[in-house]
Amino acid sequence: MIKAVLVFNNHGKPRVSKFYQHFPEDTQQQIIRETFHLVSKRDDNVCNFLEGGTLIGGSDYRLIYRHYATLYFVFCVDSSESELGILDLIQVFVETLDKCFENVCELDLIFHVDKVHYILQEMVMGGMVLETNMTEILTRIEEQSKIEKSEAGIAGAPGRAISAVKEMNLPQKIKDIKLPDLPSIGSLKF
Amino acid sequence: MPAVKGDGMRGLAVFISDIRNCKSREAEIKRINKELANIRSKFKGDKTLDGYQKKKYVCKLLFIFLLGHDIDFGHMEAVNLLSSNKYTEKQIGYLFISVLVSASSDLMKLVVQSIKNDIVSRNPVHVCLALQCIANIGSRDMAEAFNRDIPKLLVSGDTIDSVKQSAALCLLRLLRTAPDLIQLGEWASRVIHLLNDQHMGVVTAAASLIEALVKRSPEEYKGCVSLAVSRLSRIVTSSYTDLQDYTYYFVPAPWLSVKLLRLLQNYPPPEDPAVRTRLTECLETILNKAQEPPKSKKVQHSNAKNAVLFEAINLIIHMDSDPNLLVRACNQLGQFLSHRETNLRYLALESMCLLATSEFSHEAVKKHQETVINALKTERDVSVRQRAVDLLYAMCDRTNAEDIVAEMLTYLETADYSIREEMVLKVAILAEKYAVDYTWYVDTILNLIRLAGDYVSEEVWYRVIQIVINRDDVQGYAAKTVFEALQAPACHENMVKVGGYILGEFGNLIAGDHRSSPIVQFQLLHSKYHLCIPSTRGLLLSTYVKFINLFPEIKAQIQEILRNDNNIRNPDVEIQQRAIEYLQLTSVTSTDVLATVLEEMPPFPERESSILAKLKKKKPGAAEDPDAAGGKSSPPTVASKPMPEISVNASYQPQGASGGSADLLGLSSSAPPAAAPASNDTGCLVDVFDMLGTGASPTSNGLTAAADENYKSATTPDLEAGPDKIHEFVCRNNGVIFENDLLQIGIKSEYKQNLGRVGMFYGNKTSVPFSNFTAEVSLPGELSSQLMAQAKPVDSQVEAGAQKQQLVNIECVTDFTVPPVLVINFLYNGAQQHMTVKMPVMVNKFLEPAEMDAATFFQRWKNLSAPAQECQKIFKAKPPMDGEQTKSKLLCFGLSILEDVDPNPENFVSAGVLHTRNQQIGVLLRLEPNSQAQMYRLTIRASKDAISTTLCELLESQF
Repeated sequence: MIKAVLVFNNHGKPRVSKFYQHFPEDTQQQIIRETFHLVSKRDDNVCNFLEGGTLIGGSDYRLIYRHYATLYFVFCVDSSESELGILDLIQVFVETLDKCFENVCELDLIFHVDKVHYILQEMVMGGMVLETNMTEILTRIEEQSKIEKSEAGIAGAPGRAISAVKEMNLPQKIKDIKLPDLPSIGSLKF
Repeated sequence: MPAVKGDGMRGLAVFISDIRNCKSREAEIKRINKELANIRSKFKGDKTLDGYQKKKYVCKLLFIFLLGHDIDFGHMEAVNLLSSNKYTEKQIGYLFISVLVSASSDLMKLVVQSIKNDIVSRNPVHVCLALQCIANIGSRDMAEAFNRDIPKLLVSGDTIDSVKQSAALCLLRLLRTAPDLIQLGEWASRVIHLLNDQHMGVVTAAASLIEALVKRSPEEYKGCVSLAVSRLSRIVTSSYTDLQDYTYYFVPAPWLSVKLLRLLQNYPPPEDPAVRTRLTECLETILNKAQEPPKSKKVQHSNAKNAVLFEAINLIIHMDSDPNLLVRACNQLGQFLSHRETNLRYLALESMCLLATSEFSHEAVKKHQETVINALKTERDVSVRQRAVDLLYAMCDRTNAEDIVAEMLTYLETADYSIREEMVLKVAILAEKYAVDYTWYVDTILNLIRLAGDYVSEEVWYRVIQIVINRDDVQGYAAKTVFEALQAPACHENMVKVGGYILGEFGNLIAGDHRSSPIVQFQLLHSKYHLCIPSTRGLLLSTYVKFINLFPEIKAQIQEILRNDNNIRNPDVEIQQRAIEYLQLTSVTSTDVLATVLEEMPPFPERESSILAKLKKKKPGAAEDPDAAGGKSSPPTVASKPMPEISVNASYQPQGASGGSADLLGLSSSAPPAAAPASNDTGCLVDVFDMLGTGASPTSNGLTAAADENYKSATTPDLEAGPDKIHEFVCRNNGVIFENDLLQIGIKSEYKQNLGRVGMFYGNKTSVPFSNFTAEVSLPGELSSQLMAQAKPVDSQVEAGAQKQQLVNIECVTDFTVPPVLVINFLYNGAQQHMTVKMPVMVNKFLEPAEMDAATFFQRWKNLSAPAQECQKIFKAKPPMDGEQTKSKLLCFGLSILEDVDPNPENFVSAGVLHTRNQQIGVLLRLEPNSQAQMYRLTIRASKDAISTTLCELLESQF
């Protein structure tokens, strides 16, 4: 079983954290810090598995991680999971993110933390692997964004109207506004 | 195609940018507090928020939570979002709930209500959201609410694949939370048949669910074995184009293969020969594929391929039945040991640990010893080195123990701090377990202290002292070695402790050499005294007072030290009290009393090493007894093996009551021999206290010599170690031979000549039935040719509170030394239990008494005078030395009591015949008690070589 999925950057700032077993909030933060501490001091070409920290359950649990540019992806799993299988799962997760965000980078995870969760939800459920086939995962995500778009089209209008009013950068916007052609006076009838 | 980028929420983006631009932690907190206040006011405000705004604020809260701030509001708004009919709002509501709301929250009732609506929705994406939420929270309430709906969704023909997938995992989550509430009943077989589903995603999810169900009730789901094998076979033999999207970098469905291989590890090898053959073919194919050239250079390809391969090897090890596959697996792992991928080396070391426990492959694993040792030296990654240490520990046996221990000691000098303590324990255990020559053992442990003294826990140095005290052949050597070790200018405190204790007991053995004369020993120890912590000083004071007994000639110097203000007025109460008491004791009492009080420590009762218990506690599972072949699934409750022959002359004491209370000092509840004379002299000791007038309680003084602070903390309570009760059955045929929380085993037996009939009784002490119960008699090693044992099968089900009987017929072919072993396996609450218990079938059971007159006895006694025919032992008695009891013990042992043979009426003379299939062996015995010294001398002569020794050892344990 997967106990937690953690993504943090090279400085230990959490970017995604998902626990499949309940921990109090402060323990969650401690686990992230402890995991970062364990993982970050390792060289890049050592092995991708290590024993978990004490907070998450000690030597019964494994941390399986991959380091991509500025981000660490860490899965904490118990002994019933195949280490190499999970390593590949991380790869599938990252490839999926990459497809969804087009060259995913840390900023994408920051600004779309909800979307990242939705993608993860399509892969892992209740700590077990739900789907591993990237095409299938992408289809479902696409389905969701279609619904999102259609909903935004009809009912999202008021919301967007409000945010448009709140636009602060008005001078710039005005420059770009194209005035509509006025109706020809000749056609007016009084 | 950017699937998820689109118009996001501008307010959210601005907020996140603000946070990212914060220069300091304080600024960040300030900005967050401002935002929290803003959101709070929005939520509390009069204006109703629309879905979009709620969604935006909930997103902000999620982000704030991720940064590590507590979120104590917004929950209600999130719950409201659940009932929105817009998917995106529902989605964010569920996300918030699953990240932030715990199962115990008051809002759960409302959440459950929303889920109820969504789970019956006709829109599958809504159903999936609801299932996700159940799987994330998985509370008991949810199990109660949905234990009917979800199984229905899972097996219904109308459900679409993605919902089925989610339903399977959702059910699995509820099964974990509330196993009692999830009963599939007649749907069980339909769930099993999901393994045949067309959609691979459904099969993957179902395989996880089925594995959990199998763990709960293996019998009910037995049908999954053949389905899993055929599914696996279809995947393994397919080409990578067949499975299209489920092919991952040219490997067909690697995750599903891994799941199926795991599932099969819950069962013994399939009984149906066709299924078995098919499975063997699969495993062979997987092993073959490993040898093929890779289809891609990408690391993902080799990862996926090897994930399947390692799982296949795990299954091969689990089945532990096909030597051919086991050896192939071992060779494959051997290749990986020198692979350039660190991950593979790591996994290979780990899997080999399991292989080393199989009797078929133990030897094959040993071939890689050099590579493993090399890994210890050259691996750059500490996790890999740790695995190498584990493997060396697992592959160690009598033949390679010296090499492996030497290598581990070398490595210890440079080992990482994080694994030193565990290594020390492992070295200590191996050294003890495989010591042929105990001087090697002593050297090893002293080396350990020298190299890694800080990591040598109390258990380790207590143990070396116990062993030295119990083995008189090593005492002189130990004294000499510690004396030399103490001469180093800086030696570790633990060395001082061991040295102090051993010289206090056995310093006299090396006092003949002028280089280690009494005064030199004393001065050497005392040179360390002032550098030590108080508890060590206390121990050294006890050593000094023992020196007064051993070496009266240095009494004056020692008394001088005791009288020193640093001791007699030491602020540490313990030191002060010892100094005062020892000083008085040595000044007031006669040498006789002194000699009795300060006598050499009696041997320790035989018991499992507390070091092993400590290692088990530290690493459950990893500390398997390296000898226990195939013991990989044995849970910690199993009766552990007693440590081998550490105390040949240790008088056996039942340990039931005192097993936990540590006694380096032998202060167990049954008074050890040396304590007895001491207590006879209490009158005298009380006088000493009267004179002191300190009012010190005699129970807490240090007069039993040596560090009594030790017995407060000496050994960790060792609940797992079932005491080896076999010695209680040398003179008894009926009784309880084993008992733990689950199981009680009783025995009733009768013997006639060389035949025996043994009834074994297995009682289930729990309220749950045991299933798959098997009990087999194993005749290890030589015993298989010495004894015939035929066990009738026993019912595979043992109901709660019930007792099952098993009859075992035994024939003694020729004489033997080790007893047969009962191997018991069963499933308790779905967990595999494995235990081994020694059967109390000893060679003396086949003895029958013989009568003869004095003349015949002496005639035969004289005829049996070859050295190999006789065995003599002199040993301390366990009080009381009662003549009648002795007689009945000899009779029960299987011998006669011959009256008027020995001129000394105190002595016992007996005779008997040992019946074996091949021959009858005459046995003569003489037992001479010496009640003054509380000693026995036992002599046995037998007409066949070596038998006398076996019988002597058996009988000795009874006195």
